[in-house]
Amino acid sequence: MFGGLKAKLHAARSRLGSSIQTVITAPGSSGTGTAPQVPVSQKESPNQSPSAPASPSIVNKVKVLLIERELIVSETDVADALSELELTLLESDVALTATDAIIAHVKKILVGKHRKIGESVDSLVVGALRAALLEVLGNGFNLLDYIRTHPRPVKILFTGVNGTGKTTTVAKIGSYLRKQGFSVVIGAGDTYRAGAIEQIGVHAERLGIKIIQHPEGGDPSAVLFDTVQYAASHKIDVVLADTAGRFHTKANLMSQLDKIKRVMKPDLVVYVDEAVAGNDAVIRAFEFDKTIGADAVILTKADMDSRGGAAISIAHTIGKPLMFIGTGQSYDDIAPFEPAQVVEELLGDS
Amino acid sequence: MADTMQPIDQRELMTLQHYLKEYGQQAEIFVSQLEMLENGRMEALAAIEALEGMMATEDGVVLLQIGGGASVRAKVLEPDKVMLAIGAEVVVERPNKDAIGFLKERIMEMEASQKKVAETLDRLRSQMNEINKRLEAGYQQSMAAGEE
Repeated sequence: MFGGLKAKLHAARSRLGSSIQTVITAPGSSGTGTAPQVPVSQKESPNQSPSAPASPSIVNKVKVLLIERELIVSETDVADALSELELTLLESDVALTATDAIIAHVKKILVGKHRKIGESVDSLVVGALRAALLEVLGNGFNLLDYIRTHPRPVKILFTGVNGTGKTTTVAKIGSYLRKQGFSVVIGAGDTYRAGAIEQIGVHAERLGIKIIQHPEGGDPSAVLFDTVQYAASHKIDVVLADTAGRFHTKANLMSQLDKIKRVMKPDLVVYVDEAVAGNDAVIRAFEFDKTIGADAVILTKADMDSRGGAAISIAHTIGKPLMFIGTGQSYDDIAPFEPAQVVEELLGDS
Repeated sequence: MADTMQPIDQRELMTLQHYLKEYGQQAEIFVSQLEMLENGRMEALAAIEALEGMMATEDGVVLLQIGGGASVRAKVLEPDKVMLAIGAEVVVERPNKDAIGFLKERIMEMEASQKKVAETLDRLRSQMNEINKRLEAGYQQSMAAGEE
């Protein structure tokens, strides 16, 4: 997953590291010229007695020069490398605002700060990148915690454009929640697309999940209202409400979604799109959020997306967390989005 | 032989038909993704050819398509400066050679994606074949039961 972005980040990280290394070894740098690097050590000199006077001895002066000397990275030292990192992120379809945020964060960490020369350059760079990516990725969204801390049934409405795998995602989340010990009912709210009711019906049957269906062409609000009623009367933990795919520009379909929201009063509105759509997915999520609102996002087909742009940018751009990513065809191929894990995967050496 | 045959469950046949239909719909989506990737790849190849051709001409004159099958001769003022959409709706100016390098990288990325989509499609098709076989066997059993 995101293999292309990972490879590019490695290249950008090396470039950034080289720039800083150049500062360390350059004659006339803020350190002591071409002196070799010495690991940082906090140990006291063995010759120095604990009751030694505070005034620095010659040994201490040398120690300060060679061990405790500091390096100050200036903006010009890393300007080229940061520019390369910026292009790397943009080429991976990371949205401009998210890219700017990452660059600003890395710059803030690296530039002007006093660093011990013995500190590993690579860990310095990786640390800066890790912090910047984590800031942009946000905290994710723990659905299990949400369900545990909210009155039942927790009603989740799935929205999004056509053909992104919304119905399959509803089934996958149903399966995931069942495995976590929650009871689930699915509302077949896509009464518009031919075969959609059958499709979700097959999934539900295969997973052993109760489904509420009305005939094709019926009012989706009515189906989902019935689903909520069923869940309430049968003490079901979670309602998963599927809806027909639609573009935010279709006013009539958006007002239908508005009606669904009024009728079923969802606790969470989840926007579903595909990771392979890259920046388009980010723009669509933004528009959907503006029009109908969204509390979290799910990206499907992340296994086919080598760039990772949408996954990196979406939370920062629309201000809503990424909740799950779909990673394949089977019911188990869905994973909660864990920012720390994703960052480790992107910056790890394996 | 007929004695050992299990009675066919019509509901199972219907479920299998639903599976087949669903897999068919998924396969259609992957086929259209493959087409999009192939179109993108061909477009990038054509752009590389045009960029290389532009540098090879001495006067910088090219045929510019203006739609409807019509073209005009146009002179490229700066053939070494290429405006390139690099992603995230950002356009940058790159030297011709760098732009070609970028497009070649994009082609490699698209080929890698094509491979992944094709693998998924193959898996889906083999699952569809399995379902088809089971359906066929089910129909034959039904017909045999009807003849008796």
